[in-house]
Amino acid sequence: MTAPNPHRPAPGAPRPYHFPAFTHRLLPNGLTLWVVPLPDREMVSVHLLVDAGAASESEAEGGIASLTAESLTTGTKRLDGHAFAEASERLGIELTADSSWDVARAGFGALAATWEAGLELLAEMVREPRFDEGEFDRLREERLADILQARSEPGRLADEYFLRYVYGDESPYGRLSAGAPETVEPLAVAQARTHHDGNWRPDRSHLVVAGPLDEDAVTTRVAAAFGDWSGTSPGHRTIPVADSGGRRVVIVDRPGSVQSELRIGHVGIDRRHPDYFPAMVMAGVLGGTFSSRLNQRLREELGYTYGARAAFDPRRSAGPFSARAAVQTEVTADAIRETLDQLDKMQAAPPELAELREVTDYMIGVFPLRFETTMGAAAGIEPIAIYGLDHDWWATYRDRVEAVGPIEAHQAARDLLRPAQSLILLAGDAARVRGPIESADLGPVEVVRPADS
Amino acid sequence: MAHVPIERHQLDNGLRVILSPDDRTPIVAVNLWYDVGSRNEERGRTGFAHLFEHMMFQGSANVAKGEHFALIQAAGGTLNASTWNDRTNYFDTVPSHELELALWLESDRLANLLPAMTQEKLDNQRDVVKNERRVSIDNQPYGTWEERLQALLWPEGHPYHHSTIGSMEDLSAASMDDVSRFFATYYAPNNAVLTVAGDFDHDAALAGIERHFGPIPANPVRPPTPSGAVPDSLGGEIRETVTDQVELPRVHVAYRIPPFGTEGHQAFDVVSDLLGTGHASRLYRTLVREEQLAADIGAFVFPWAGGSTAIACYATARPEVEIEALETRLLAEIDRLATDGPSEDELARVRTLHAAAVEGGLEQVGERADRISQYACLFDDPEQINTEIARYDAVSADLVREVMAARATADNRLVLTYVPADDDDDAEVGTDANDEAAA
Repeated sequence: MTAPNPHRPAPGAPRPYHFPAFTHRLLPNGLTLWVVPLPDREMVSVHLLVDAGAASESEAEGGIASLTAESLTTGTKRLDGHAFAEASERLGIELTADSSWDVARAGFGALAATWEAGLELLAEMVREPRFDEGEFDRLREERLADILQARSEPGRLADEYFLRYVYGDESPYGRLSAGAPETVEPLAVAQARTHHDGNWRPDRSHLVVAGPLDEDAVTTRVAAAFGDWSGTSPGHRTIPVADSGGRRVVIVDRPGSVQSELRIGHVGIDRRHPDYFPAMVMAGVLGGTFSSRLNQRLREELGYTYGARAAFDPRRSAGPFSARAAVQTEVTADAIRETLDQLDKMQAAPPELAELREVTDYMIGVFPLRFETTMGAAAGIEPIAIYGLDHDWWATYRDRVEAVGPIEAHQAARDLLRPAQSLILLAGDAARVRGPIESADLGPVEVVRPADS
Repeated sequence: MAHVPIERHQLDNGLRVILSPDDRTPIVAVNLWYDVGSRNEERGRTGFAHLFEHMMFQGSANVAKGEHFALIQAAGGTLNASTWNDRTNYFDTVPSHELELALWLESDRLANLLPAMTQEKLDNQRDVVKNERRVSIDNQPYGTWEERLQALLWPEGHPYHHSTIGSMEDLSAASMDDVSRFFATYYAPNNAVLTVAGDFDHDAALAGIERHFGPIPANPVRPPTPSGAVPDSLGGEIRETVTDQVELPRVHVAYRIPPFGTEGHQAFDVVSDLLGTGHASRLYRTLVREEQLAADIGAFVFPWAGGSTAIACYATARPEVEIEALETRLLAEIDRLATDGPSEDELARVRTLHAAAVEGGLEQVGERADRISQYACLFDDPEQINTEIARYDAVSADLVREVMAARATADNRLVLTYVPADDDDDAEVGTDANDEAAA
């Protein structure tokens, strides 16, 4: 397929491109400031990264980290929720705050002329939050409504149950970082205050500022806004991870579904895994691009789906690996067999050099596109700050991708994929898919109804 | 504000070409808008323009099936295409030194598509598109809302009456003959706009465009786009209630408004932001924050240029909230804006938000190219990319009141409500389609 085509124009000489130069410095209160000067841009991106994600909460309070972050946007001691929204939106800024497992984030994008006022509002929001009881209760009820909504969306339903069955009850990763109804329901504003007080502290936090600014000017502004922010935080706990193991099929029953939302996988890798690059390249060949094996087979050859993908989701502890597709109900069992077949093939032999190069060339070539915007450049700092990656991460990134060949990718497939122990989970019409799946002998089959669990 | 440079050219075959240089990052966007969308479809062939877009990735005389994706991605580029009522767009962003690859790939399928078409490929992509319909509409809670809205707002036979994704039945009926005729009719250089934006050598880019696109013949007999003219008002409120696999009831309210590209439409763009953009917006403030009736809200206009389009608002009820109560309050907020108009402070807020959003969008060469193509294709006026903010800021409180009084009336109103099926019911699932459909 990638044999040279006589008509194809030859590429010109590439213009060298590097990740933008950046600086970092530790402020006296422990806050690390990262500045990415982008002199020819119009926008400024400001991201505050705090070690206050779901890994900093207890299981009994599952969801409090996320609700605490969200609550920050509902006002400060000075301004109530609506007044705070007006104050930021008058600047053309929408201040956001949220949290994942690994980090809590607060920040904004702004025109350069308003970034300083935005920074002051961000500092006010983070340091002097209002934590109004009515607003907190509202957000909690909205969260509960969203969890309810998610269970009527087949894709989100499958995601939730996939995690639950891959990680089991023993690992917090078995739930969403947003929490479960039973832990969210009893949460009260006092817990948000306590979570914020203990965890939203400068010593383990990073502030990333990218835009048409110089480091000294940014440092002065940041020192004024955050310099006397103080205190220390305990940081995240280590999330224990154990694969609940063994090949099995779980059908989350959704009667009347015209498609099955399919998730096949198991526990994957953590963000600092030594085989990170071989794993990313291998997953790219398997299901990372339009031309990947899974998409070619399930979509372009068989027409079973609008798209099939596979990916690792590396976190501080080992996040999941999954192959995923929404497939027509009638072909569910066949689609499972085809997916498992592609996992087996990935392990059986090294990828062809040409298909591997398609992936590595993409990862290398797309590099400037990723950092085209100020937000893209600011986001580039995040993994370095959060996971403590080497500061030359992006400087060496393309060489490290290039160094992955068929042997390394094959080794990653053998070490990191476990098709024979995979969970096969789908959200779909059990009455229609169960028979063919049982006939296909894919492992023990369990049917659950979302209402039961 | 950054000024977007616009340099216009036209090839002898009618292809309109726009160059917009920006060498800050060594990447370049190639963007084509074909003046054909679902509004041009024949009766019994709903969904065909979008299905055809999929066929454009199935290879051409010198490009194998899948190779367009493979070559662009291996070059470090991103690409896709999408179909909507008024247009079909194809877009690639590549490192600068691969510009000619993108030009060649786009030109080969415009010049030489049909030799690569087979029944097998059509059958395969028909299945893919049917699965796209299932994943985005039939198997999604509330998934049919836009399709129903179109069917209810515009009469049978109107170009916007049917959705872009089309019906399963019509998709099944599409034939190889349809592929050939559609290609010959609409896929001609005089029916397209090509924008190249980003980092490129001016003369080399122009020469490359001429080399690859210049020899492609025009189609002098492209049929006129059907008229979308309709009365300003629906002439009476339309109500529909749908029982669906949803957890929470949701109410959509929509009105016919003037088409994209008019001052009246611009005013409704401002209205949609006053009602639904940001946490200081009217619907968020009242329905979500203060009264806690809604779990979420939204308001937006459809940027369709063919005679008539719509503004749509929605609100999803919180658990335990009666949908009738939510509808009453949603309508009251719309009426309040029509009666009192916005304050100057509110207008200042949405203008600043809009300006920041425009500037943020224009940071990407791909977005810049797409908007240039849009204005060139729909209005033959690519310079409009540089007046987006001024046109928005020109909308006054008086104009908002005026257009609301004219259009946001009870007899021009569609109310579409989704309610949860009882556990024992089979949810009623729509049989036709919609949304902006991507490849």
